[in-house]
Amino acid sequence: MEAALKTAYTAPESAAKTSARPWFFTRPKAKTGLVSWLTTVDHKKIGLLYAITALFFFLVGGVEALMIRVQLAVPNNTFISHQLYNELFTMHATTMIFLAVMPLSAAFFNYMMPLQIGARDVAFPRLNGFAFWVFLAGAIVLNVGWFTRAGAPDSGWFGYAPLTSVAYSNQFSGDSSTDLWVMGLQILGVSSVIGSLNFIVTIINMRAPGLTMMRLPVFTWMTLFTAFLIILSFPAITIALVELMMDRSFGTGFFEVAKGGLPILWQHLFWIFGHPEVYILILPAMGVVSEILPTFSRKPLFGYPIVVFSGAVIGFLGFGVWSHHMFTTGMGTMATAAFSLATMAIAVPTGVKIFNWVGTLWGGQIITRTPMMFALGFIWMFMMGGFSGVMHSAAPADAQQQDSYFVVAHFHYVLIGGSIFALLAGIHYWFPLVFGRMVSEFWGKLSFWVIFVGFNVTFFPMHFLGLNGMPRRTAVYDGNMGWNSANLVASIGAFILAIGIGIYFAVMVYTYFKGKKATGDVWDARTLEWAVPTTPPPEHNFNVTPTVHARDAFWYEKTHAKEIAEEKAKHAKDEDSHGGIHMPSQSWFPLVTATGLLIGGLFFTHHNFQGAIAGGCIMLLGVLGWAFEGPGGYHLHIHKDGTVTGGEGQDEASH
Amino acid sequence: MRFRPADILRRITTTLALLALPLVTGGWTSGPQSTFDTKGPVAKAQLEVFHVTVYVTFAVFFIVAGILAYATIKYKARSDSAEKAPVPDQGHGNPFIELGLIGASIAALVVIAVPTLRAIWYTYDVPEAERANAYEVNARGLQWWFQFEYPHEQIDGSGQLVTGNELVIPAGRPVRINLRTSDVIHSFWVPKLGGKVDMMPNRGNHLWLQADEPGYFWGQCAEFCGESHAVMRFRVIALAADDFAAWLENQKKPARDVVAPAGAKAVLASYDMTPKKRNAPGYTADFDANPLAAWTAMQFPEKDEDAVLVNQGRKLFAEKNCVTCHAVRGHGASGVNAPDLTHFGSRTTLAAGLLENNKPNLHRWIVDPNNVKPGNKMYMGVNGMAGYMTADDKGRMTKAHIQVNDTEARAIVEYLHSLK
Repeated sequence: MEAALKTAYTAPESAAKTSARPWFFTRPKAKTGLVSWLTTVDHKKIGLLYAITALFFFLVGGVEALMIRVQLAVPNNTFISHQLYNELFTMHATTMIFLAVMPLSAAFFNYMMPLQIGARDVAFPRLNGFAFWVFLAGAIVLNVGWFTRAGAPDSGWFGYAPLTSVAYSNQFSGDSSTDLWVMGLQILGVSSVIGSLNFIVTIINMRAPGLTMMRLPVFTWMTLFTAFLIILSFPAITIALVELMMDRSFGTGFFEVAKGGLPILWQHLFWIFGHPEVYILILPAMGVVSEILPTFSRKPLFGYPIVVFSGAVIGFLGFGVWSHHMFTTGMGTMATAAFSLATMAIAVPTGVKIFNWVGTLWGGQIITRTPMMFALGFIWMFMMGGFSGVMHSAAPADAQQQDSYFVVAHFHYVLIGGSIFALLAGIHYWFPLVFGRMVSEFWGKLSFWVIFVGFNVTFFPMHFLGLNGMPRRTAVYDGNMGWNSANLVASIGAFILAIGIGIYFAVMVYTYFKGKKATGDVWDARTLEWAVPTTPPPEHNFNVTPTVHARDAFWYEKTHAKEIAEEKAKHAKDEDSHGGIHMPSQSWFPLVTATGLLIGGLFFTHHNFQGAIAGGCIMLLGVLGWAFEGPGGYHLHIHKDGTVTGGEGQDEASH
Repeated sequence: MRFRPADILRRITTTLALLALPLVTGGWTSGPQSTFDTKGPVAKAQLEVFHVTVYVTFAVFFIVAGILAYATIKYKARSDSAEKAPVPDQGHGNPFIELGLIGASIAALVVIAVPTLRAIWYTYDVPEAERANAYEVNARGLQWWFQFEYPHEQIDGSGQLVTGNELVIPAGRPVRINLRTSDVIHSFWVPKLGGKVDMMPNRGNHLWLQADEPGYFWGQCAEFCGESHAVMRFRVIALAADDFAAWLENQKKPARDVVAPAGAKAVLASYDMTPKKRNAPGYTADFDANPLAAWTAMQFPEKDEDAVLVNQGRKLFAEKNCVTCHAVRGHGASGVNAPDLTHFGSRTTLAAGLLENNKPNLHRWIVDPNNVKPGNKMYMGVNGMAGYMTADDKGRMTKAHIQVNDTEARAIVEYLHSLK
């Protein structure tokens, strides 16, 4: 019986079986080099791919922002044209939201969440790879316009109908920049939804023994909430984008005024997605900060259940406040009042989080390493962004603030001071874990202070600009409006900020190659991702699947070392009883399928439907190959001395 | 607690920086579109709500930030030994503190919510008691200019009174403005008189505002509406009751005819017309010093008007096909795609509040419109009508339909400025 079982488990790996399959159904085996990255299903490698792509686009978006600030540095400037300015602010927002902050969060989800729950990978490893390649396809579609005559999309990241219609958005009949925007966002939506479903299934099903939901690290909780927000909110924008695509490509009239379409419908659909999207950007950041603050205060998060619950409440209320983006669209008194009050209500769970972070510091032993500096900076800046948000919630006051620079100041405090500060903190915090090297404290702190100062010098004056009547999205302003000095200060600040970001990344690149080697638990951390046997973590993450006894599981391991060591020894051979540590095989098909989507999408935007169908066929072939390439999988064995044997294609006899 | 000199120095610099802030930012709250310099009840009500939000959020900010700063300073490990000290108490939180803070946040928000609700209803429409006294106008947004219509000022044979880019209203009286758009979404915003409301396609929006005193106000489109959104601006002029009546009477008249004495010869106006860069400013300090006086002066014919040149310009205005899009009531021009120019000479701005309406600016606009306002319909064409140029399907400018040389432009400028 046992022998039969063993055969069943190990059968796919036997060399005879593998070679019997047609060559295009064999699973790739490269563990290093280009092929290993193109075919990877390892959540850590995929996380790194997300991170590198996201950071690249973060720099692209930053360059776009700098060009905007150069144009606005002085009144009546002629640095760039109105058209290019419109393309820049459209792409700056689209890039920063969809191609920088979201995928950077996804990078952390991918890399850290499985480690935090003691898993060996996500639930659907190939799907995880697919989500990344689809994301890359969407990013290419969004940006390819820069290399065409029509230029990049120019209708704003919010794409309000009917400005996106053929009649108003096409500078000339062959202008497909808006089609690229529509297609790019749809493809990115596919990626986000796939990734989120994967994370949800992983968190629900693959937690280590003993890791009950109320013991989950807060970052994992926020991953779960964010994933739910994505799968619930993206359908709304997908519907809106499909309708817009139909309007533009096939002459339907969802948003076409002449055909009785309702442009206001776009705004409702967009913001039902768009407001939860704000929380999609900030909840992961809150999760990162909720990990860093306890570590560097050397005590548990204050009020863990309330922090988790307030995250859920934010996610829930986040679906009920979308129309506060539309206070000026003439909704009438009752709707305006309702959304005004709902928006104020969401300040309560957000405030609760801030109280709890302060409570975490209270009575702690605060160690101000660079990640902690960014996390503290996050609390300050997010608090300021939160308070200007409360100002917006009062609809009559918002009538003056809406679409002015006051709003620009507000959401940059939330998104840079909030999301970006937290993500930069996270990169610093987990860098030793991911790369096994320590970032220099001096250079880290320097980059923090330059970024902190630059950020405030850039965005603080914008509060005044907005209240002084300067509207957003304006390529040029007159010198007699009282906006000159504040704009100049903001532009100088933008360059200070850019220098700070430059230092930050230069230090990271230097550290990757030349940094001081670091091993193990460098920060005296509290959560399970630091329990990995080596830094960087091995492919299989944990030699022995951890058993969790408390919240802050790793802290418990450290304070109960003997008990844990005995337990680990007891479970050391658990997985060998069913063939060893089971690992997923790599695959070409996620990449092939995503490539089909890219080709089809690009042809579709140029209304070349034969090409679109060809791309669709490649995609379907990819799906077919995916389905028929066989289950794959192989086993690893950990020996007493810590060595690992087994691996892709090696036969079981080796142990 | 032990302070190191560096800490003390840092705290002193921070305090100084905070104290210096109002000095730097003092000039940042006054300007032609300042929301602090309110001139009517709607803007005042909105500013009051804003002030409430400021008081509440600042109070909460100082409390929370104070505790945060105190905690950070007090519990900071200031040395290696402090960092390696035995771990502090691993406390998990206190539900009573949490509930208390939640309760306090809700209380703070109620303080904001009450005036917010009151102002939502107040700012939505003209108060019942004053409705009978309210004056009604329509504002229509188009890419990239505003048309203003006076539905209660009918002109025999021509329908309602229509003007462009400068809205003249009676002061001291509520004005209800119906907001409409002919293409994409625009937004009507005159910060000193009130917050913005969008002009939505297929939707009948409105707002109300009131200028307490006669005055001259800057406004701007506040919703991104395409290439030249940044330069889609307008002005509002509030007049005392009798001035407003006089203005209406003049506006209802057809365009002014200027008769040239027999045998007179045209003398070209001698303003400097060196080509200007795109985005070159079109404002002057003289005008800004007293815009309402400048507006008043514009209502009367210019003393040095050259009647011969005016009539040449009038002829060119028809020959160059300006009349297909622009209306000049009484002069045979009845186009509806572009601003009504019947009394153009009485307006203080041109190209939708972008440039002051003086001769060099107008000349520049007529000769080189695309560098003043990129993508404008006079240059690109509109509703199937060709503009100055035609573009091919790659967006390249291929053919010039309308060309205006320097001499012609001077005549057209003279003509348009005669339309008081």
